[in-house]
Amino acid sequence: MGLDIKNYWVLNIFGFEVWITETIVNTWIIMLILIILAIIVRVKLRSFKDIPAGLQNIIEAAIEFFDNFATGTLGEKLSYITPWYFMVFAFILSSSLFSVFGLRAPTADFATTLALALASFVLMLFMGFKHQKGRYLKTFFEPHPIFFPLNLIGELAKPVSLSFRLFGNMLSGTIILTLYYSLTPIFVQIGIPSLLHAVFDVVFGALQTYIFVIISLMYVRNAADQ
Amino acid sequence: MNITALLAQAVPEGRVFGLDSQTLASAGIQLLNAIILAVALTFILYKPVKQFLQNRADKIKGKMDETDSAMEKANQLIAEYENKLKEIDIEGNKIIEDARRKAAEESKAIVEGARMEAQEIKRRTQESINEERRRFKEESRLYIIEVASLMAEKIIAKTIDDETQDKLFEEALAQLEHAPWQG
Repeated sequence: MGLDIKNYWVLNIFGFEVWITETIVNTWIIMLILIILAIIVRVKLRSFKDIPAGLQNIIEAAIEFFDNFATGTLGEKLSYITPWYFMVFAFILSSSLFSVFGLRAPTADFATTLALALASFVLMLFMGFKHQKGRYLKTFFEPHPIFFPLNLIGELAKPVSLSFRLFGNMLSGTIILTLYYSLTPIFVQIGIPSLLHAVFDVVFGALQTYIFVIISLMYVRNAADQ
Repeated sequence: MNITALLAQAVPEGRVFGLDSQTLASAGIQLLNAIILAVALTFILYKPVKQFLQNRADKIKGKMDETDSAMEKANQLIAEYENKLKEIDIEGNKIIEDARRKAAEESKAIVEGARMEAQEIKRRTQESINEERRRFKEESRLYIIEVASLMAEKIIAKTIDDETQDKLFEEALAQLEHAPWQG
């Protein structure tokens, strides 16, 4: 397990080189797994009963928990964007759990966290203008127009802080685990790493997923409600 | 589109972090991936499961409403039947009271009829007795008269003349008419 994000292919699109990195390929793998799981659940949904049991319980609990959490944070007015954050939640959590298998988490690449943070930023601006119209723009000049640069920086800092927080946390786990595998003799690389993976990938991964999603939801809510 | 995959040896070395156009390009691809994943998860998983949960909640609510409505109907029926039972009780009591009153009237009429009949029978019997008595009295008087006449005839034939005989006969007849009859 190395620190570098490998490049697998290079595409030339209109004379511009695009690297197909390990992150992108791992993202496709995660997407494929999540979509297959979703299709399995969709097929199973036909045989779902009124009194849930087994897998149905887990699916219902997961969807209901997330929906209550997202709707509770966003409010009923913005509840129609919860599916996007369900994807963000599922993707970041799956990425963290992906590391358990010794594969590099897509979230340990700044490009991924930047993409997710930019999406939240765009959503935040869109919701701000959609629900507040001109008042949202006015908030950039409050309490006095002289504060406009500060307010603008404050807004632009949101996607930067979101992306770097997740990236830094995920990368730190990757670095620690890489160092452990590189610096320790082979006999301590059996058993003990599972504990480190449990902490850095599962616990920190779940925690960072929750933090990223709730902060994004609050940014959007604040923009729409300000 | 002019898309060309370059050979593996032309692929640049990996890196941990960079702030350049490649990061932006990767971010763009990741954003596209995220959108595709969001669409897929939303339409394959999130919305159908939410719809299922909503349908079930509606179904449960419908059943609860149905139960409430059935309970309300049942309560109404109970109240209705209780009222009917009360009415039936009242009507029953009325019928019993009427029957009792009619029975009392009828019994009174029967007793009255019987009394009248008894009186009639008594009256008729009395009349019959009186008739019988009168008839007997008449027959007895005629018989006695006859006997007395015979006796007197015999006595008188021996002792008195015709004039005395007629006088005595008249006196005897007058006495017989005023004498009380026994039996």
